[in-house]
Amino acid sequence: MTSRNIGIMRYNPEQDKKPHTESYQVEADDNTSVLDALQQVQQQDPSLSFRWSCRMAICGSCGVMVNSVPKLGCQTFLRDYPDSLVISPLSNFAVEKDLIVDMEPFLEHLSAIKPWLINSEQSTVPHVQTPQQLARYQQFANCINCGLCYSACPQFGLNPEFRGPAALALAHRYNLDSRDLGKAERMPQLNAKDGVWTCTFVGFCSEVCPKKVDPAAAINQGKVESAKDMILSVFKSSGVR
Amino acid sequence: MPSHNNSRRPYLPAFRRDWWLQLRFYQLYMLREATVLPLLFFISCLIYGLYSLSQGESQWLKWLDFMARPWVVALNVLTLAASLFHAKTFFELFPRVMPLAPPSLMIAVQWLATVVVAGGFVVLLGAWV
Repeated sequence: MTSRNIGIMRYNPEQDKKPHTESYQVEADDNTSVLDALQQVQQQDPSLSFRWSCRMAICGSCGVMVNSVPKLGCQTFLRDYPDSLVISPLSNFAVEKDLIVDMEPFLEHLSAIKPWLINSEQSTVPHVQTPQQLARYQQFANCINCGLCYSACPQFGLNPEFRGPAALALAHRYNLDSRDLGKAERMPQLNAKDGVWTCTFVGFCSEVCPKKVDPAAAINQGKVESAKDMILSVFKSSGVR
Repeated sequence: MPSHNNSRRPYLPAFRRDWWLQLRFYQLYMLREATVLPLLFFISCLIYGLYSLSQGESQWLKWLDFMARPWVVALNVLTLAASLFHAKTFFELFPRVMPLAPPSLMIAVQWLATVVVAGGFVVLLGAWV
């Protein structure tokens, strides 16, 4: 164990006008994660606020910016930042206190695209799916809703109305699912002004995704679907069947 | 009724105009997008060439003289480099948008197509000249 210095962005809404960085000493070895370091600091200063739960990159709660890059605290290690390390709250979201941000805008976008199986079929028979049908959407189903992709997305930073990477990737995931019949309900969200066409394929969302979901690919595959939907709607409205 | 949220004062930092300077990944993205700028110059050269062709021999020779100026050649070499860089990024992104075959195969086929089409133009141009 060696002692080292880390910076943490602090913001107390009852006292501070804006966030500021404070530095702390932590004991670290090769296995010390950013989340471990935050917990050590909390022992020194119990007023430090941050979210965490599972410590194994499943719950998606401990997202923070580590040297300006969105990371899960539990999956990021101090050994990879030998020079300097500054932990700040996720970008593009409003800071409530210290490292806690208001995720509400993301959750609204998420629920808008109806990320669940839409299938009114009343049947007691299980929905059988072949491995090929599963493979079509499986990669996009690994999303843990951590929100790192929203902090990586400059289009979401510029325009918070943009549905954003995770929501659009999940829309694509359910549209690709053979058990789902809700594509027609989701397409208006994809086609809308703040849908898939706001994405310019910066691609940083896919770089930072801790589950390798590749939301940028999902959104741009969504553009292909949106274009097909538009062409089909032209034929339908002109009466061609 | 008093609100439980009295002490809430969320702080939303303004989105920085220089966001793209903050990370190398963003800089490369902006470089990819900026490859259109030298391309605009090249397209202007081509339109000027077509216009000159319609104006007769003296204007056409003037255009040939313009195209041979060192700064024009330098800008067009830059355009070629920029377009090749854009092609590289495009060919790598395309298999993610339309996963039709393994990505490495799709990238190889796109470069092969580029070489064949460019080579075809060179042969045609050679035959015409």
